[in-house]
Amino acid sequence: MNIKHITVLVSTGRHPTSGVPRHCRNDSLALTIGVDLSQTKAADLEVLHAGNANNPALKDYLALGADQINVIPTEPDSDIVDSFAERLGDADLILTGSRAENGQDSGLLPYLLAEKLNIPIIANALELKQEGDKLEVLQFFPKGKRRRVAVTLPAIIAIHPLAAIELRYAYVRQQQGKIIALTKPAHVAAESHLQWNIAPKLRKPIKLKAPENLTGHERLLAAITSENKGGTVVNDGNCVEKAQVILSYLREHQLIAF
Amino acid sequence: MTMRNPIRISPNRPQQSSPNGLKRIVLRASDTIEMYAQPKPLRTVNNPKASYLVIAHSERGSLSDHALQTIAAAAILADAETNVLALILGALTDDLANFGADQVIVISELDFEHFQPELELASISALIDSIQPTRIFMPDNHTGDGDLGRRLIARQKTKTAATQVIEMNVDHVATYQAGGTLIAQTTLPEIILLAANAVDTHLPFIALAQRSKQAITNLAIANSYQDLDMQTIAATEIALEEADFIVSAGNGVENVASLESLAHALQASIGASRVAVDDGKFSRDKQIGASGKTVSASAYLAIGISGAVQHLQGIKDCRHVIAINTDTSAPIVKRADLSVIGDAEEIMRALINLIAEAKSANLKVAA
Repeated sequence: MNIKHITVLVSTGRHPTSGVPRHCRNDSLALTIGVDLSQTKAADLEVLHAGNANNPALKDYLALGADQINVIPTEPDSDIVDSFAERLGDADLILTGSRAENGQDSGLLPYLLAEKLNIPIIANALELKQEGDKLEVLQFFPKGKRRRVAVTLPAIIAIHPLAAIELRYAYVRQQQGKIIALTKPAHVAAESHLQWNIAPKLRKPIKLKAPENLTGHERLLAAITSENKGGTVVNDGNCVEKAQVILSYLREHQLIAF
Repeated sequence: MTMRNPIRISPNRPQQSSPNGLKRIVLRASDTIEMYAQPKPLRTVNNPKASYLVIAHSERGSLSDHALQTIAAAAILADAETNVLALILGALTDDLANFGADQVIVISELDFEHFQPELELASISALIDSIQPTRIFMPDNHTGDGDLGRRLIARQKTKTAATQVIEMNVDHVATYQAGGTLIAQTTLPEIILLAANAVDTHLPFIALAQRSKQAITNLAIANSYQDLDMQTIAATEIALEEADFIVSAGNGVENVASLESLAHALQASIGASRVAVDDGKFSRDKQIGASGKTVSASAYLAIGISGAVQHLQGIKDCRHVIAINTDTSAPIVKRADLSVIGDAEEIMRALINLIAEAKSANLKVAA
């Protein structure tokens, strides 16, 4: 299957210190990958945003390679998963960043969309390439691990922040590009079961601890005797025997494979 | 007027004498002086009316600290009538009794090394349907659980959910929003993806941790994903913060060449303490500690490092710390899971030889 239609979902970000609206870097990576892919595959590219078309942050995406941004108008309580799903019916490949910088910031959107559209989702993608009728994705994992996964199209791919992509900013593109507000979809209120109580971050989170009823004596003991955490100490034997102890420890905990 | 009885202190009250002959009074009046810890009471649920389900992937047969915190969180929040079930995907050799799991179900086929989200989701959903847990807890990490948890949230549409939970107690959870500038609170949802280090794993009780194995039921499932392979980047190319095995040198290492060949034999990254870097033996980007890098390796081999507080700060997230040192009283010995006392150079040489022998023996077996 050839990729004919690529859709990139972008959100708006904010500067971490000044709070000035700007592009969300994760989504910009997805946009750059989308632009490159659409050029090599001669596919058409749609850049989609749900929110306010007058948001100054959207202009950054024009400068970063989008010719046109289609904006789905939303209301504060509307369900953007539904509004997106309606427009994504014919997309072969949907790209987005793995995490937003604004809003709920839960990283759930690509998963909810995939479930709604009943298509596969791969998160933390570093590289994409098409192999036959499948898309081959390099996935990021911590500790130097990378996984290659092939996935059938259409699919949603969420790009990892460490993807080796250089953003190309051009002022002329920002001036030439267009931002178009789409017609407002029928209002569907989000089925939010949870009422979030939002406040500025003024304190550190409190760790969950098991309640303990200790007597004064026990508390005193706990304060003066630290829990003996030290492991085994090997003092005896020659250096070969000591080295053998280390090797068996590594083997026992499956830290080496020989 | 009657005089109140004055409080009399028995001259024979329990006391100890310290090594320098001073008498020390023991505060709690009891016949025996218990300086050792009492065994923790066992938490049992006789008539469970509800259950909490914890789902986590294991790695190399054990659970990460993050996954253990998640089990402990469920155990802390569970009341006297709630069972804590731990569903471990992948093989498990650890005992989870200290972390409060009443029952442990292991599905060893669904390990993290293989990408099979649809099969995992189907197996979990089957289990959820059969036990009907009131809450589901998962660690929100990048090693499979965060991904699987979000797939589960998307699949179980009717359940309320929160991701990256940084704070929780019996009546609320909190997460950061808008890139960590806002804090949002809500009542306890049904699916909780817990961020790392939001829970203290120290519990005043232990649980039974009854083991049961479960085979996967529905193997014939439509799979849109095909796992091609899992690669590991060579230890020399990887950033120190991301490395899984680190061989680290301190002041006690005189011969850098043997350290490098040991790191090569173990396929490990090289780190160093501040003293070794200041001496010019290693470049500044190898420095581990408060003024250098903070690492989170599974195995950390500290050679000739005494373990200053600043250095221990840099290795606080390391899982297995092995120390080679000449001094038994060095602070690193308290931190290390295994400490070998002896000459660093000799032990390094012996270790290199043993590894070479083991590798050639392996090759012979394979051939």
